[in-house]
Amino acid sequence: MNVIVAIKQYISKMIEESGPGMKVLLMDKETTSIVSMVYAQSEILQKEVYLFERIDSSGRETMKHLKCIAFLRPTRENVEYLAQELRMPKYGLYYIYFSNVISKQEVKVLAEADDQEVVREVQEFFGDYIAVNPHLFTLNIPMCCQALNWSPGSLTRTVEGLTSVLLSLKKCPMIRYQNSSEMARRLAENVRQIINREAALFEFRKTDVAPVLLILDRRDDAVTPLLNQWTYQAMVHELLGINNNRINLSNVPGISKDLQEVVLSAEHDEFYANNMYNNFGEIGTNIKDLMEEFQNKSKSQAKVESIADMKAFIENYPQFKKMSGTVSKHVTVVGELSRLVGKHNLLEISETEQELACQGDHSACLQRIKALLSNEKTQQLDMLRLVMLYSLRYESHSNNDIAGLLEVLRKKGVSDKLRHMVHGVLEYGGRKARGSDLFGTQDAVAFTKRFFKGLKGVENVYTQHKPYMHSVVDQLIKGKLKEGAFPYLGTSQLKERPQDVIVFMIGGCTYEEAFAVHTLNRTNPGIRVVLGGTTVLNLKTLVLTPSST
Amino acid sequence: MAMSAEVREGFLCPMCMKDLGTVTMLQDHFEEEHSSEDKDVLQQLRGLLGKAKKKILGEKDSSDMFDTSSSSMSSSTYAVSNLSVTGYDPSVWDPQEIGFVRSRTDMFKSQRGARVDRYVVETNKLIIRLDKLTSSDAPVESSKRRAFEKSVVQWAPDSSVKTCQFCKRNFTLTRRRHHCRLCGDIMCDKCSQFLPHTFAKKLTDPAFQLQSDVDVGFLKRSDSNASLNSILGPEGDPHIRTCANCRKLLERRNDQMEQRNYKPAIVLLYEKMKMCVDNTEDLLREYLPMVESLSAGESIHSLQKAQMYRVKITKLYETIDGLSKKILNLGLNSEEEPQAKQLQLQRAIRLYASNFMQDNMLGLQSLPSEEQYKMLQERRTQEIQQRIAAERLAAIEAQEREKRLQEAKEGGHKNTPSSVKVTEERPRSGSKKLTSWMPSESNINFSDRDDPMIQQMNIIRGYIKQARQAQKFDEVNMLEQNLKELQQEYLRQQRQNWS
Repeated sequence: MNVIVAIKQYISKMIEESGPGMKVLLMDKETTSIVSMVYAQSEILQKEVYLFERIDSSGRETMKHLKCIAFLRPTRENVEYLAQELRMPKYGLYYIYFSNVISKQEVKVLAEADDQEVVREVQEFFGDYIAVNPHLFTLNIPMCCQALNWSPGSLTRTVEGLTSVLLSLKKCPMIRYQNSSEMARRLAENVRQIINREAALFEFRKTDVAPVLLILDRRDDAVTPLLNQWTYQAMVHELLGINNNRINLSNVPGISKDLQEVVLSAEHDEFYANNMYNNFGEIGTNIKDLMEEFQNKSKSQAKVESIADMKAFIENYPQFKKMSGTVSKHVTVVGELSRLVGKHNLLEISETEQELACQGDHSACLQRIKALLSNEKTQQLDMLRLVMLYSLRYESHSNNDIAGLLEVLRKKGVSDKLRHMVHGVLEYGGRKARGSDLFGTQDAVAFTKRFFKGLKGVENVYTQHKPYMHSVVDQLIKGKLKEGAFPYLGTSQLKERPQDVIVFMIGGCTYEEAFAVHTLNRTNPGIRVVLGGTTVLNLKTLVLTPSST
Repeated sequence: MAMSAEVREGFLCPMCMKDLGTVTMLQDHFEEEHSSEDKDVLQQLRGLLGKAKKKILGEKDSSDMFDTSSSSMSSSTYAVSNLSVTGYDPSVWDPQEIGFVRSRTDMFKSQRGARVDRYVVETNKLIIRLDKLTSSDAPVESSKRRAFEKSVVQWAPDSSVKTCQFCKRNFTLTRRRHHCRLCGDIMCDKCSQFLPHTFAKKLTDPAFQLQSDVDVGFLKRSDSNASLNSILGPEGDPHIRTCANCRKLLERRNDQMEQRNYKPAIVLLYEKMKMCVDNTEDLLREYLPMVESLSAGESIHSLQKAQMYRVKITKLYETIDGLSKKILNLGLNSEEEPQAKQLQLQRAIRLYASNFMQDNMLGLQSLPSEEQYKMLQERRTQEIQQRIAAERLAAIEAQEREKRLQEAKEGGHKNTPSSVKVTEERPRSGSKKLTSWMPSESNINFSDRDDPMIQQMNIIRGYIKQARQAQKFDEVNMLEQNLKELQQEYLRQQRQNWS
């Protein structure tokens, strides 16, 4: 149930099958991201893969002495490109791997193009998704929702991605979905259809307890992606944006050239792996330790007097260089984060956000929001964040002042388009759209729980919010998830508590939720949860989603 | 017990790192000192020791089993201390098998086969005919030649076609019909292709080697209307008239043959380099344990042999470095700049080579010098001796305690003399022969109540000492081996007795 390992195993198997010799890896746009998320270039170089090419690039040269490993999505364009390529082969031999099911018809098209008999293998390797963390995958579909239903093409891609996750993990699951969501029901039915149609693919050894695929809709919890984040991975994504593990730092003032784009990959960066779920304060101390360790090292590197010193220097140099790269990268990233936190008054804003999401009294919240809106330091995106949260929270409050806040936004020079998004969010994730009691105001038990929590006080005011998904999955693994709200597809039901769970969030998941799943996995031995989404959201991406309504 | 560093740590207390000689002592120590500190660790330790015991008792080959179980013990105590580490931990879940895979190769090949077989059969036919036409006993005079050509393949009758199948123009008095000598089809002169005999030879004779680098292939036609014969002149290369279809098939076969036989410079260099890399990896696999054992002062490997390995590896590194540089600079000095991707490939190969060297060479540990090695060896012998003494003491103590316990259980019915007498050394005079070395029985510690195994071990220890004094290192090796085996056996017995 580790998605990174699943993709890695596929790719190393491909490379192994072609045997020794110089190789080129031929990919399309999507498979390039899939591969780059799990393998560093130097790692793949070790396997004699020396060139990386895009199938749609025109400038490729004929190099018959290379073996070509083609890893492609089975789209119509790719099959056409490939048929063209085979008619006039540029490389010596071809090993072709599709990331999903390829039809007999398409195999025939390719076979007829291969007059010169250069193709050695045609296989289906189901790595049709992007693995972010061991338990987190995404399909990189930025806008899957149009007019509150599936946008054209994105349902197909989601079904393909989700079934490939199941196949790569060898799971044939029972499917549960969020009853309030039409999109969830359609996705569930489509996945079931594929499982039935390709029954031969899904014949796995039966496990004691069947795995569960739980399909959720972002509309049930539009609050989580609106919040500022304080754990490392989530915070970097919210403030700087992570795109296939890459972070664009070119807007950072005074940035040096080689740091304009950095890669944060837990697979290849130990510091990041150890700290991605730590909160901002802990990272500060850890990075200080890292710096000190580095300084000690560089001191010892500095004195090269005797031959022995020189020898030691040379022996340690590669590690030293690697460490210096890690240090400068994280110091830059953390430095930029703390600059942004100070500049935009994020601590105070975040405190108010958490108040809004978790408890809070209406008039006090309104006061604080108004104060923050008039603060010079607050940037427009955060103003929008606050007003959106307020509207979601107090949508049905008799004295709510959404109109008044919108007026303040207008005076502050927030554009019409952005202000309309407040209504967009209400339509997308408001009370009518939700099938759940997101803020826990109706359920008496939840209400008292919240009340006591309020009395006890909270450990950290900035991280008191727990994503709604956390409680859903928690109930699921305890066997307490209500069947009315999350029915099974089909007649069979699970009697035991599930052990292997795949959660999929239509509309995108967040790194805060990834962290929640990570905690669930750690605290429940024997239970394995993998989270996926059409994309990984931050506020910038979420405001795009309802704006298309 | 094997004498490596890991096993020396076999009975370390995980809490205070104190070395307790035996399993039971460790357990006792743990219960006395740390029982209050960490119930979990204790629980785990107990479980592990139980497992280890079971394994030891269950397995005949106890020494190996014990090694693995004790190392697993140390690794799992390590894991216990690591549980608190937060963050990303890929080892949380069990290893998984590779995801589902479906091969479409058979389907692909059967589709392709139907198509390609036709080509192959067709081409083979053409090659056989070509062979006949160009054979040395084929007639040359034009009158006989035509009949011969018709016997090779049946010509299509002139009346069967009115237009050229390629340019679709009508045949007239000036646009005459011509036959393809390979398939017998009809076309006009302009659409005819001409295949020189040298090219035919290349296609039909697998052993055929071209004398020069001239490109062979179909003759090129100029745009003029003049017939080919007039271009070539009477003594021009002899050739065969074919149609465009046959030409395509023959050229396809030629390309395939060329590709099979042709290796560009980069491939040759690369193959050499890769071979060196593989050799180096093999050598390193043997060399690294050698260095480790030597720098621990062990005498399993000889220093000379290790030095030889080191030299070999360094030489291989130089070759790899040289070859990869050559690959990097391929074609840079020639007039035609190599293409961009080719350069990229060359750079990537060089990067691969330098990464390989950086990963392995810079970490290539240097060997101890002769003097250092001697010092290491001496230190090791001392350590071993100290250890053996300590072990013995511990064993005796343990036996004692065991006995006392038993006595206590028996309610003190018997009064046996309790303390173990360690008798004094009894020096014995040994005879030393000058011609060949023989161990004498002097300087050997004996105690009457010792286990015969311990006696045996002590004897061997004495021998080793003597052998070392006599500089007979082969014997030392052999004896040390014996000693090790004995110690393992002894340990096993002890454990059986106690449990």
